[in-house]
Amino acid sequence: MLNRRRMLTGAGALTLLPTFSAHAMVPFRLGLTPVFLDNDAEVISRLRDAFSDALDVEVTLEQRRTYEEVTALLLEGSIDAAWLCGYPYLQHKAALSLMAVPVWNGQPLYQSYMIVGDDSPAESLADLRGETHAYSDPDSNSGYLVTVSDLVRMGERPESFFGRTIFTYGHRNVVRAVADGLVQSGSVDGYVWEALSRTEPALTARTRVLTRSEWLGFPPFCGRSDQMNTPRMQAMQQAILGLDQTEKGRSALALLQLDGMTKASPALYDGIAARMRIMDTLRP
Amino acid sequence: MSLLHRIPFALRVPLFTAALMILVGFLASQQVLTTLRQVQDDRIRELAQLQIEALSVALGPLVSRNDIWEVYDTLDRATGQNEGRRLVFAAVANTEGAVLAATNPRRAPVDSALALLTAEAQMLEALSVAGDTAEIKVLAPLVYQGRDVGQIVTEMDVSDLIAERKSVARLLLIGNTVATALLAILGYLAMRRILMPVTRVVARMRDSADAPEPIAQADMPAGDSEMAQLARSYNTMVGAIGAKAEADRRLAERERFVSLGRLSSSLAHEINNPLGGLLNAVDTVQKYADRPEVVRESAELLKRGLGHMRDVARATLDLNRLDHKGAVLAAEDFQDLKLLIQPEISRQQQRLGWEVGKMACDLPAAPVRQIALNLLLNATEAAGKDGRISLKANHAEGRLRLEIADSGPGLSKSACARLLGTGAAASSGGGVGLRLVRDLVSQLKGCVSLDRSDGETIIRVELPC
Repeated sequence: MLNRRRMLTGAGALTLLPTFSAHAMVPFRLGLTPVFLDNDAEVISRLRDAFSDALDVEVTLEQRRTYEEVTALLLEGSIDAAWLCGYPYLQHKAALSLMAVPVWNGQPLYQSYMIVGDDSPAESLADLRGETHAYSDPDSNSGYLVTVSDLVRMGERPESFFGRTIFTYGHRNVVRAVADGLVQSGSVDGYVWEALSRTEPALTARTRVLTRSEWLGFPPFCGRSDQMNTPRMQAMQQAILGLDQTEKGRSALALLQLDGMTKASPALYDGIAARMRIMDTLRP
Repeated sequence: MSLLHRIPFALRVPLFTAALMILVGFLASQQVLTTLRQVQDDRIRELAQLQIEALSVALGPLVSRNDIWEVYDTLDRATGQNEGRRLVFAAVANTEGAVLAATNPRRAPVDSALALLTAEAQMLEALSVAGDTAEIKVLAPLVYQGRDVGQIVTEMDVSDLIAERKSVARLLLIGNTVATALLAILGYLAMRRILMPVTRVVARMRDSADAPEPIAQADMPAGDSEMAQLARSYNTMVGAIGAKAEADRRLAERERFVSLGRLSSSLAHEINNPLGGLLNAVDTVQKYADRPEVVRESAELLKRGLGHMRDVARATLDLNRLDHKGAVLAAEDFQDLKLLIQPEISRQQQRLGWEVGKMACDLPAAPVRQIALNLLLNATEAAGKDGRISLKANHAEGRLRLEIADSGPGLSKSACARLLGTGAAASSGGGVGLRLVRDLVSQLKGCVSLDRSDGETIIRVELPC
């Protein structure tokens, strides 16, 4: 309520009020993918409650299987905002703007992990040649871009280095695929792996982190740039940033094992951008 | 066979019943187990059918687009983690037979050949829970939108069905054992009851072999069954045996009288012979009463004659005292016998050999005298006119041996039988008193033997003393 009031007074221009009011009853649609959240009903429910309370308007969480689908929905305007990965954000940097970035272990950064089965003899990425590998999503930074850009750096062709690659469309699924032996290695979000090691230690115990990438920008909440200045979006941004200010918000953050949300500049994703440029060298 | 014959009759029928029950139980159990297996087969086939159909619906689109992760995820969810689940393993392959995913990827890695898993797999339509393996493997095509998109191998946990079958088999075994044992016991009791008249007859025959007793009227089986006929026949037989024993006893008695009769005729002769002389002596005494020397001579003659008659009378009296227990056999007894036999010897003008040693035994006199007299009388009869008979009696090594020989033609077959106790016991004929001899010898626990050599018939009697 506080946020809303602040937003209302902050907005200043009374002429905008009817516009916002007209939109007030339209639910706010936030896109999510199981790539990152793995369909955790509890997390989704708490996030929705926290946002709905903060905005005083119903918030619907739109889930799609892939980043591609969610990004497409966001770009076409079917959803108002989405929790995306840094990679699709950069792919559509011209159309998208950063709303907030989660803070994990005190900073808005995470790593990509290359994991193998706990019984694997591999010591480096090169040892995985010819084996089976699980990516999470072709538009995931930690679950795809980091590994393929590493391979390109090594002078390898990503499409032929592994004997077979599969997409699981979920970081937790990557961990499951490696732990169960469906594949011999996987590219996974380091934050998800660490979070799982607390909630499902038996699962991560069957995997071993082979390599860790450099620290990269945490998957951000994005909105369409042309909508960013609308009160609706402003209010949403405030709601996201203020998650740690409400009981329900803190509860959702606790489930996500995140500290809070912060504003970030596009420069946070320079590391990912650098890896994208490596990929560009593949294109003729 | 010999073992079977040794089993009591009352046990044979229950044993046979038990054997029959075991056979019937075995066949019935087999039938039950076969039916149970068919029911289980139908059940598991239906289950497998449903499971594979459900998996086909879920996996069809995923397999057709080679979505390895989704196939794996679907299989993983289908097998689940809960206890007691039926589906324990599943592997899905594309149309080329390369594994797309399996619930246990380490066992069936991606891209490995499905053929490696299908070795013991059964086809769905012929699915059967045979043997004792806790898991059965089923191979089925994966059909999606009417076309084969791949194959699926599933392993189903049927340990509960196997356990159920084992439990049923165990219950059948216990039930059949109890029923068989119960029927065998009932059979035994029934047979014992049915055979009771026979058992009673057998017991009576065994317990009273010498003098069988008839079955009491109260114990007679009712009605006109074979058992009642058997009991009646037995009683008739017992009656016949009793009558025969009575006839035998009378015969023996008569024999004794016969021998006595013969003896008394010779005794009369023995008394009659001196009687003429004695009457003459009395006449002489009356005629010459005044001549003392003649009277004295006649009195002397009278005394000798009367003394002889007294001896004969005494010997005869002694012979008839069979129950005279007190007297122990002595050499004088043989003197008496010689005295008694002498008239017969004289009449037949036979020669008599007589050898009697010292007697120092505890044998009662009466039966031994009867034995010897009977044998001697027989010998004189057998030897005939101018024949030769002899008696030898001695006591040595705790045994009294009598040997009576004669020059007769030997004993007839029936006489042998009566003397030695062989053959038809009740036959009659020559050889008076031989049965009595045998009976007396056996009462004294002795034995009789018959020998013939050098034209002589020798009867030997040995009596322990």
